[in-house]
Amino acid sequence: MLLSVENITVHYSRLPALREVSVSVDEGEIVCIVGPNGAGKSTTLLSISGVLNPTSGDITFDGKRINGMSPEAVARAGISQVPEGRHVFTTLNVEENLRIGTSMRDDRGEIEKDFKRVLEIFPVLAERRRQAAGKLSGGEQQMLVIARALLTSPRIMTIDEPSLGLAPNLVDRVYETLLDLRNDRGMTLLIVEQSSERALKAADRMYVLRSGQMQLEGNAADLQDGEKVRQAYFGFEEGVAHEGEVAF
Amino acid sequence: MIEANTPVLRLVRTFWPLVVLSVGLLIIVVIIDLSGDIILAQTLIEGLVRVVIVAALYLFIGNSGIISFGHIGFMMIGAYATAWQTCCPYTRDMFMPGLPTYLLNNTHHFIPAILLAGLLAAVVALITGYAIMRLSGIAASIGTFALMMVFYSVYLRWSTWTSGASSVIGLPTTTTVWVGYVYAVIAITAAFLYSRSRWGLALRSSRDDEVAARAAGVNVFGQRLLAFVVSAFFCGMAGGLFGHFLGMLTVDSFHLKMTFITLSMLVLGGMQSLTGAVVGVVVLTVVIDVLRRLETGVGDFSIPTSSAEVFVGVVIILILIFRQSGITGNAEVYWPFKPDISAAAAMKRQS
Amino acid sequence: MDWPYIFQTAISALSFGSFYALGALGIGLLFSVLRLINFAHGDFITIGGYALIVPSSAVVATLSIGGFHPALLAICIIVLVTVVALLSYFVVFQHVQNSSPATMMIVSFALGYVLQNVIVMIYEGRPKAVNLFPELTGPIQIADGVSVPLLQLVIIAVTWLLLIALVLFFRRTAAGVQMRAAAEDFRMARMLGVRGKRLIALAFILSGSLAGIMSLLFVTQKGVLMYNMGLSIMLFFFIATVIGGMGSLIGAVVGGYAVGIASVVLSAVLPEDVRPFRDACVFLIVIIILLWRPQGLVLTKAARERV
Repeated sequence: MLLSVENITVHYSRLPALREVSVSVDEGEIVCIVGPNGAGKSTTLLSISGVLNPTSGDITFDGKRINGMSPEAVARAGISQVPEGRHVFTTLNVEENLRIGTSMRDDRGEIEKDFKRVLEIFPVLAERRRQAAGKLSGGEQQMLVIARALLTSPRIMTIDEPSLGLAPNLVDRVYETLLDLRNDRGMTLLIVEQSSERALKAADRMYVLRSGQMQLEGNAADLQDGEKVRQAYFGFEEGVAHEGEVAF
Repeated sequence: MIEANTPVLRLVRTFWPLVVLSVGLLIIVVIIDLSGDIILAQTLIEGLVRVVIVAALYLFIGNSGIISFGHIGFMMIGAYATAWQTCCPYTRDMFMPGLPTYLLNNTHHFIPAILLAGLLAAVVALITGYAIMRLSGIAASIGTFALMMVFYSVYLRWSTWTSGASSVIGLPTTTTVWVGYVYAVIAITAAFLYSRSRWGLALRSSRDDEVAARAAGVNVFGQRLLAFVVSAFFCGMAGGLFGHFLGMLTVDSFHLKMTFITLSMLVLGGMQSLTGAVVGVVVLTVVIDVLRRLETGVGDFSIPTSSAEVFVGVVIILILIFRQSGITGNAEVYWPFKPDISAAAAMKRQS
Repeated sequence: MDWPYIFQTAISALSFGSFYALGALGIGLLFSVLRLINFAHGDFITIGGYALIVPSSAVVATLSIGGFHPALLAICIIVLVTVVALLSYFVVFQHVQNSSPATMMIVSFALGYVLQNVIVMIYEGRPKAVNLFPELTGPIQIADGVSVPLLQLVIIAVTWLLLIALVLFFRRTAAGVQMRAAAEDFRMARMLGVRGKRLIALAFILSGSLAGIMSLLFVTQKGVLMYNMGLSIMLFFFIATVIGGMGSLIGAVVGGYAVGIASVVLSAVLPEDVRPFRDACVFLIVIIILLWRPQGLVLTKAARERV
């Protein structure tokens, strides 16, 4: 396992946000965590990247224990996170945003090559290189944060709701890009989504998280009919969910 | 074991922190009064005046969570307002020639004068708070700071009413040990009753989670303003007591240093506890007094000047680094009898 | 029109503005990455001044570092003040950086209070005359009948050189870009591998060296040392940062110039009976600005995790 989260429990002040949650990601996999609002998906990712500190449990990356490490140390170890809400540096221009991604690297030659490659993947960023990132559209900003995370040269990327607030055709673009990254460059991805439909299409394996607890885990191929997922997602028996309530 | 079953006991238990604090101060007052040591009595009176200020600071800061750097301004307003009414009948027109004829020619008794001074401070707090209490967090703190600076610079230059940069001398020194004690008890009682009232509860809910408090229908602005005005009232009275303790007033004494010392007392004791406010005053007053004596020298031994100041500063830094909840841990004194867990827990929640 | 007078007033306003701008930058640098309003900043400037002289109770001070060759003197003072600023981070502020800004403000007050009183302990509280860079304090003839104090021109020139250097730092260097990023979203910057602690230490170094340079300028101008001289100018820097919008460095510079120019112009323009209330007016403006746009002060991102 490249990344394994074992039985972590996370508290916000005194309330537990995650209870004994485990997730594992193998090299080259795309793994999705889905779940309704407030399930603890973002909490899981923030714990992995060292922003939150689990009260118990272990997170290991490439055989090394990483919980308790600072966010920058986790990033330097090779885990790059694209947090929810995009978080571009609005007052910096596009190029400067991308440069922040390279701040922990010192392989100058490789950085420049990566820069070129990233701009090839995201040509729109090349066009807007000197523009303030705050002026970009939502889709462009999403591209920018993914590109920025790529430039840290990570071994695994964790992405929190890449489709949030984007038009459907842009969501397709984002997922195409993510799949290309895996297929062409062997990138390992851990993606969090609210809607499981999109995630099921892209993922190799999937987890369903609800109310801070893991409900279901399986190969995406085995979960295609969606019935089990729906049940785990909503936490009640089949048929109780009303049509239209469901974002499938 | 005492069961809290009789009505009297129940009452004592409800007001337990208040009882402990009042009796505790009373013991100190009686001992020092009986000892007849005049210098010690001076320190005690100053300490009691500070109890009034710091209890007032607790009332606002402890319940609202907004750190105010402005209350010493209200203290100054109260101090000068009493001086206008009580000071030096024969030389008043010399120190403060700009006063209206009524104030120049009439001298009020010290008690109504202090009450009026508190009211003036409260009115000023109502007007200024109406603007500043709309702010939250650090913006509100900076607002109160700027407010203190406005009061300070106005009083410093308004020499026909305040004597400006020089002193007003000749206030009757009516703040005796017992007067100080009575006002201290009034102030802590008010702070205690306020924080146990539904207004205090509402304000504390906004301290812990402003958004949730608003969602629950708490008028955060109104509650803050109420606490601001009430605490300014007591600061104003404390100003009056302070003037009548020293017998003189200077604008310069109501500036950053006084702000810092009083805030330090609250921080040291525990910002969110009335017990903390009183404990902070007692501890720092004793420590400063001891260090001052050592500075002037005891026998052959003496420590460098301003050791007391350095010590206070270092203690405050250490407290804020290692124990932000202060000496009391932000809790009030517990009912010591019958370990009634639910009552103790309730008390802790309320603190 | 009395052109020489207007010119002299303009230069004087610019030099005051420059000085306040440097001070406001020193405050703004720390506020932008740490949300710390450092009230000890003025006392760092005071320390730089006192380092020039030998501890004693004499009214006219004996120079220590102040007797060095000017270049060496400047370097020594700047390095010393920078070290003090950096130590204040590692010894004090580092341990409270997750507290609320108001708590950090009390800590900085306490630190300033300690520093002032340590100075009193060592040097005693009386003012001390110091004659630093006497060659700079005279007037200089610019045209017929127009002369301005040379020091004012020096202050303006030094400020502009420093501003240019800072702009280059923030635009052209990796650390500068990282600092701008951290000012906007500290947590995100760290998640991209930016070392938070190092960056904050760097901000303290920059802020401290500005304070060191200001010690030299301030002492040359005043010719007198006083243990609380830093606090009074600190209040003006503080006003400048609030007026400029806290957290914005350009704002700090603009605010500094606004306060400097306004105080010179107000003294010249205000009617006689209002003039004493100039300071009160300035603080009133601070309150109005807070009410008008408190955005500069509140956190832009919901959660700001610190090192």
